[in-house]
Amino acid sequence: MARHNLEKQLNILEYALSSLWRHRLKSLSVLLVFGAVIFLLASFQMVTQALSDKAKQVLVHTPEITLQKMSAGRQEAIPLAYGDKLAGIFGIRRVVPRIWGYYFDEVRLANYTVMGLEVAEMPEGARLDTTLAKGTMPRPGDDAQGWAVIGYSITNALDLAGRDTFSLFRPDLSLKPFVVRGEFSRDTDILTNDLIVMNLADARDLFAIPAGLVTDLCVYVANPTEIETIAKKISETLPGVRVLTRPQIQKTYQVVFGWRSGFGSICLLSALAAFVILAWDKASGLSPEERREIAILKILGWETSDILAVRFWESVIVSGLACLVGMTAAYIHVVYYAASLFRPVLMGWSVLRPNLHLLPRLAAGDILLILAFTVLPYLAATVIPAWRSATVPADSALGG
Amino acid sequence: MGKNVIIECKELSKTYPVEATMVHAVNTVNLSVNKGDFLVILGHSGSGKTTLLSLIGGLTSPDSGQVFIDGVENWQQSDQALSTMRNSKIGFIFQFASLIPTLSVMENILLPLSFGHNPAGSRDLALDILDQVGLADKANAFPSQLSGGQQRRVAIARSFINCPDIILADEPTGDLDEETEKDILALFRRYNEQGTTFVVVTHNSDLAATQKGARVFSMRQGVLTSQAG
Repeated sequence: MARHNLEKQLNILEYALSSLWRHRLKSLSVLLVFGAVIFLLASFQMVTQALSDKAKQVLVHTPEITLQKMSAGRQEAIPLAYGDKLAGIFGIRRVVPRIWGYYFDEVRLANYTVMGLEVAEMPEGARLDTTLAKGTMPRPGDDAQGWAVIGYSITNALDLAGRDTFSLFRPDLSLKPFVVRGEFSRDTDILTNDLIVMNLADARDLFAIPAGLVTDLCVYVANPTEIETIAKKISETLPGVRVLTRPQIQKTYQVVFGWRSGFGSICLLSALAAFVILAWDKASGLSPEERREIAILKILGWETSDILAVRFWESVIVSGLACLVGMTAAYIHVVYYAASLFRPVLMGWSVLRPNLHLLPRLAAGDILLILAFTVLPYLAATVIPAWRSATVPADSALGG
Repeated sequence: MGKNVIIECKELSKTYPVEATMVHAVNTVNLSVNKGDFLVILGHSGSGKTTLLSLIGGLTSPDSGQVFIDGVENWQQSDQALSTMRNSKIGFIFQFASLIPTLSVMENILLPLSFGHNPAGSRDLALDILDQVGLADKANAFPSQLSGGQQRRVAIARSFINCPDIILADEPTGDLDEETEKDILALFRRYNEQGTTFVVVTHNSDLAATQKGARVFSMRQGVLTSQAG
């Protein structure tokens, strides 16, 4: 009996395969469209996860706490003297001033991120060298005036292939010259792609920020588990100052990518919905030939469940192949083409979009979610109409 | 029910709505068919003979009455049991070819065997039956490559592949030329002599005359009448 059933199921599977082959043009069309929808969804999910991972990895180098002065809900320059007021808080290792701003290049219509640092004052300043592909961050005693370490896209944007000097405009339109002393590694592109790091004094000069003021104060703590406690104490000591902790910044990045991914996913889900409607329309309007085939099979002794099994296997084979093709294409798209289709959506307020080397990650939950959104509706869209057709009297479908 | 009875219809009725009225396609039919009988039911188009075949074959359910095949009532069975009965006991020949156009002749003929009980040598059997209907050289052809009459002969060959106890045939010789018709009726006779029961509905009154010992009925407006008495 078991052997009989197994043989029957194999025959049904064989019939399903041959049916797909017999309708190969239609099967191939569905496979391609279905595969394309899965490719889009999987690419999006992979690239979002990869970007989140990348951001988490790179943000390790950011200060544990960043302070910004707020006035009327907007950020303004913070006095260096605020750092002195934190002296009494136990657990603070060092307070380092920083200038962080954006420089708009009118010629290239691009925003560069400018960061002025005193690397020598940073507790882990020497470690920053590990983020560089070439050159070094300035050492104490170096003549650091006018040096710059730049991100990958800056090299291209400023056309620095054959030279190592460039100039930026001050607010009074006078030119300030820089010499390139280092270039960030491509692995850090997600944060450094459009970044120019310079001496704090140079940044102050470039942006014409008065002495005694900076845009942020970076607070380094002795014990990372105390970050939240110290942040709370700082808030109490300096009311009116925005206190940003590293976990908060990491969370913000996750939210930003999550939001962008969500926005993109909604657009893609519309495509998916269109596909499901199309599949439903196609399948529910079974052609007279298909209805006739079902009727013939019933007359010859096929059970309703056998006919459903054929449709089920056909759908499983098509959707399984579509998943395989779609996910493989998504992996190739993300790894070898750096998710070029989605970069405008996922990476960019700047026209200098990072050319990241992404390592895609797709968790089992994500795969199940994609399957739930694609395979299940497709199965329903194909099996239900077949069931409806298989439960009407066979002779009526034959028109006898 | 007699021991030898293979088909029994009791008070069988079926109506269809046509516009505002209900048409009695089959009207209180009582029929008893013994194993090895050859029944010919004559009737004009629309007399209800095709509906009667569908009711006997369990393809459609009656409004009232019962159909017994080998003592088992069709509509008291599960879908699975009814399908198994159709598959193992009945061969259908419809008035149109009813072939699947994307399957070859051989694949169409083997279709009833797709249930895990493919006897060894079923292809040989199929070729043998194809030879008997004069289409041995068309095993790999597709229905679209055959004439209407050839398609009909493939459908006839398919109905015999499971060696069924009963053949239900609706206008089996409708598209056939005289020569082929003779061959097919001879084939029916051979199978009938081996014990296969035939219920053939047709408007061709000559067909009854060609089958020795055939029980002949006529059908008119859903009512079945024996021509024997």
